[in-house]
Amino acid sequence: MTSPPRLARSLAAFAAVVTLVLATAFAGCVVVPQNRRKHLADPMMRFQTDGLDAHAHQKLYGSREAAAGGDGTPAGGGCACQ
Amino acid sequence: MTFTPALLTLLLTAVTSTAPPYEIESVRLRYTQFHQTGVGYQSAAGPPGAPGSEWARVEQPQAEVTARLGERITERVWIPVDVVTAASPDHSRYDRPYDAVDTVSTASRSTPSGTVDTFTTYHWDRVTDFTMRAAFHIEEPFESWIVGLGASRSFAEDNTVVGVSANQILDWFDHFSLDGNRHGRATRSTTNVNVDVTQVLSPTTLASFSYGGTIQVGTLGNTWSSVLLADGSRGEERLPGHRLRDAATARVAQWLPWNGALTLSYRAYLDSWGIAAHSSEGTLAQRLPAGLTLRANYRIHWQSAPGFFTIAADPSGLGFRTSDSDLGRLHAQTFGGALLLDLPLARRLRDLHVDIGYERYLRSDNLRVDVTTCAVGFRF
Repeated sequence: MTSPPRLARSLAAFAAVVTLVLATAFAGCVVVPQNRRKHLADPMMRFQTDGLDAHAHQKLYGSREAAAGGDGTPAGGGCACQ
Repeated sequence: MTFTPALLTLLLTAVTSTAPPYEIESVRLRYTQFHQTGVGYQSAAGPPGAPGSEWARVEQPQAEVTARLGERITERVWIPVDVVTAASPDHSRYDRPYDAVDTVSTASRSTPSGTVDTFTTYHWDRVTDFTMRAAFHIEEPFESWIVGLGASRSFAEDNTVVGVSANQILDWFDHFSLDGNRHGRATRSTTNVNVDVTQVLSPTTLASFSYGGTIQVGTLGNTWSSVLLADGSRGEERLPGHRLRDAATARVAQWLPWNGALTLSYRAYLDSWGIAAHSSEGTLAQRLPAGLTLRANYRIHWQSAPGFFTIAADPSGLGFRTSDSDLGRLHAQTFGGALLLDLPLARRLRDLHVDIGYERYLRSDNLRVDVTTCAVGFRF
């Protein structure tokens, strides 16, 4: 069950993360013009190779570890995944 | 009534005249095989009082088609199929008799499952996209409906991209007891929100930060996992009826001067069952001649167990309990590699992509999974 201290800790973590996200988003710390971003557009720089590969990894980890979810993907759903 | 043909003609003309041109952008096919060996306390397919077999094999073909409808809409249709042995009980629908539960009886059943997943992106303007997801998943004892909405917007000459998304999943599955008997149906609701930011840090460095929060309510186990009791027998698993999960991930990608790239990530996880987890992953890619790319990856994962995890539960106890090894305290490592081939082509077919890869997943409780994958993709 969700005990109040743990819930509070989760909410605090959520608040901290959202604050950090917003701060990062609107900081505008660096502006690299488009003509200097060719390396960033290289497929090797992608955080995930493709959606099908990501799904295979989700299958590998989501049903064998108790820490799925986040990363733009929901936890649970499908089979008996944890 | 005489107006009907004219009205239909008018409607047909209107629809066909405004329908955007349909153009397939890419087609991708991937086949992955997971071969798992090891034992787990939730499985009764072993000697009394000891963990049972977790042997399983999963065959997973996937197909994906991405198409552009006019200037503003991109549609992705994705169909993953899993054929799992030793995963779940056979289903009782369509008046078919159901069999006993795999993990209680024999670890030899075959359970096919499939999903149809559509993801639509609407390009509102040059910097703003809206997305909608609708999916349906089915396997023998289980059905799942998924809907999602999202939006992303870029700032500072596309140096910063902020995205938000929300998903709702409803699972509907058979409730089995340990003896393999079915006791009606159970449901589970999963609500998920995500926020992510991708930031250009330099002409060769990219960073990303994301948060995902998930609330689950309902029957959160599969209902047929067993718990090892102190007297050597087995009892049913009992889990809380809700779960709040938080995950935050930071990633960085660095271009390397020798035509390579390094990506690193760290993920922190915390949930209301008391499970905390940390995962770190690194991928090193190196471009080779003739369109080849070599990739190596390593991941390490630590997780703690919930307070109600046990392998010697009180037989008369009424509280929460689980012996599921996946929920236990563990650490796991994954290492692997892949060889990718990207060939630019002429005319109608712009690019051809082929890759083949292998990974090994090793867990501290001796569970092992060998993953073999290959893919082919076309860009038009």
